[in-house]
Amino acid sequence: MSQKLKKTFIVTRFDPDKDEVPKTQTYEIEVEPDWKILDALNHIKDTVDPTLSHRWSCRMAVCGSCGMTVNGEPKLTCKDPMSDYGDTIEVAPLANFPVVRDLVVELEGFMERFQEVKPWIMVAKERAVEEGTTQQSPDELADFKQFSMCINCMLCYAACPVVSNEPDFIGPAALALGHRYNQDSRDEGAHVRNEIFRGEGGVFSCSFANECSEVCPKSVNPSGAIQQAKLGNVIDWATSFVVKRGGDVS
Amino acid sequence: MKPGGPMPTRTADPRPPDKYPGRGRYPSYLAFGASGAFLMISALLLIRGVWALGDGGAAWDAYRGALGHPISLVYHGVAFIGLTWFALRLFRLFPATQPYRMGPIKRPADAVLVAGLYGVFFTVLAVGTLFLGGALL
Repeated sequence: MSQKLKKTFIVTRFDPDKDEVPKTQTYEIEVEPDWKILDALNHIKDTVDPTLSHRWSCRMAVCGSCGMTVNGEPKLTCKDPMSDYGDTIEVAPLANFPVVRDLVVELEGFMERFQEVKPWIMVAKERAVEEGTTQQSPDELADFKQFSMCINCMLCYAACPVVSNEPDFIGPAALALGHRYNQDSRDEGAHVRNEIFRGEGGVFSCSFANECSEVCPKSVNPSGAIQQAKLGNVIDWATSFVVKRGGDVS
Repeated sequence: MKPGGPMPTRTADPRPPDKYPGRGRYPSYLAFGASGAFLMISALLLIRGVWALGDGGAAWDAYRGALGHPISLVYHGVAFIGLTWFALRLFRLFPATQPYRMGPIKRPADAVLVAGLYGVFFTVLAVGTLFLGGALL
């Protein structure tokens, strides 16, 4: 039987019906050494304070629901071991997002950004079933696979200083996802996405803070995707004067 | 990261990242961004030098003479530190920004890319120094 540890949690609380601004509440609890931060929050909710609100689901770093700010860093709390921290742990909602309640943030703005980059395969003409499956080589898959591993946890948005300062910035995860489709050999809509990438809040708003890649729990490397998209867009823009672009895609 | 339309419930305003701008990795990023100013000024000075070279020997000698002015020397000392900082951070992050395939070839190992960048950096520095010092003319 492992020995329990005493930890102090300073948790951000916000009740939209009562509070003007978020405040903090302190909980002193005993935790198992192998717990994750999420286990401790669930323990607080189950045994100490049932009014605490936080979002979580899979507990295995797959669903991307439990992103929060732990001691100033955006983290997936189900992946973040208690042993990484001292006796006092501060848990706050993700930065750069409106707070709905306690540790729960508003997702709507984030979801709108995803739609902007048209994250689906666009083709000029649908393949008929009789034409068979679309072939893709391992190298062609490797061109974009890393960027398709995103779990939409929003940690990259919480860490990005450009998201903080530029409200129109599409943001790391959405731009990386758009780039993922631009790199896909089956897709024919890169010229459409590149117009969006070159527009306001597109890839050239990124100033290469690289925070998105630093905090990404799935090593998606959104910063790398955006820098690649910048170069791709310069080439696409320059060649657009001499090479006719594809027609309508959907 | 506010939604375009109205939100269904009252929310607390977003706050900036906790460590921004003074703590964590942010100061390094801000210094990187600020040192970009040296890159721009130095590029303009370089273009001015090429222009002087095209204007003949007297203009070139005047340009080199201006580079020896104490203010210019102080600027170039500070700019060298700034540009070195810029290069160090850029070179460290550069490999992760490269695609899986670079044209027809697969991406070389990170160490090869970084070694190449340092090679170019020191070569340009050496050639520039020799050129401005008059050793190559």
